Amino acid sequence: MDPATAANAAQEDRPWGALSDLPGHPMMWVLILTEVVTFGLLFLTFAVTKAVHSDLFAAGQAQLDPVLGGINTLVLITSGWLAALAVEVRSTGQRGAARLQLGGAMALGLVFIVIKVAEYAAKAQAGIGLETDTFFTLYFLLTGFHLLHVVLGIVILAAVALSDSIENLKTGTAFWHMVDLVWVVMYPLVYLIG
Amino acid sequence: MTQTAARQVTRAWGLLVLLTLLSLGAGGSGWTGLAANGLILAAAFAKGRWMLMDFLKLRGVPAGWRALFLCWLALVTVIPWATAALPLLRG
Repeated sequence: MDPATAANAAQEDRPWGALSDLPGHPMMWVLILTEVVTFGLLFLTFAVTKAVHSDLFAAGQAQLDPVLGGINTLVLITSGWLAALAVEVRSTGQRGAARLQLGGAMALGLVFIVIKVAEYAAKAQAGIGLETDTFFTLYFLLTGFHLLHVVLGIVILAAVALSDSIENLKTGTAFWHMVDLVWVVMYPLVYLIG
Repeated sequence: MTQTAARQVTRAWGLLVLLTLLSLGAGGSGWTGLAANGLILAAAFAKGRWMLMDFLKLRGVPAGWRALFLCWLALVTVIPWATAALPLLRG
């Protein structure tokens, strides 16, 4: 086979190039890469602004509840664990068990939303909003943008639970793990480090 | 279910829970400063790495992908530590 024919054959085998090496549909990884870059830039913006307005950020952070943030971290981690187990279970053909685990992952996603909304409500009751100061503008922007991804992630998990090929499960859970990964960095950045 | 893969996922979950509790304890104890920030962000890096390897299954993909995601993780944990250190160093 001449080199040009070999290259064409290789391209037909791997139409997405290097993205074909990743688990799930490559288009999902295009989305994941876009999201991690976006969240990365938001994290860096938060970190640099914090260095400039250190007193303001310390005062703002003191009004957050790190325990609620920690509970939400445990909730998302456990949800991610169930989603990862669902892929393993589905790979042996146990569709019912996989759906049950995906249901558990989605239920914990809803728990995350409830806790986050309760946190926002407490802030609103204390008269704190998006325009209170720079800290809270970035707090609501970062956590609110992430919360939208949690909602989208639950919808994606529901979709792959209904259309439950192994490929679909790998694709849907990859997005969920990205949402989980972003929170694991956001939690210490916003709630813990002084 | 391959028992090994499931065990690996469950082991990663146990470690993630442990590190979250450790971070929460360090953050809630009032212990602050460069060392506390370093410990908390190192825990975040370790948690992110386990998620990438065992949940997102990057352990079996070409090394370039792992390097790309680990570099992102390093950047978003080291830079916040460095920027948080600036006001502390200024006193």
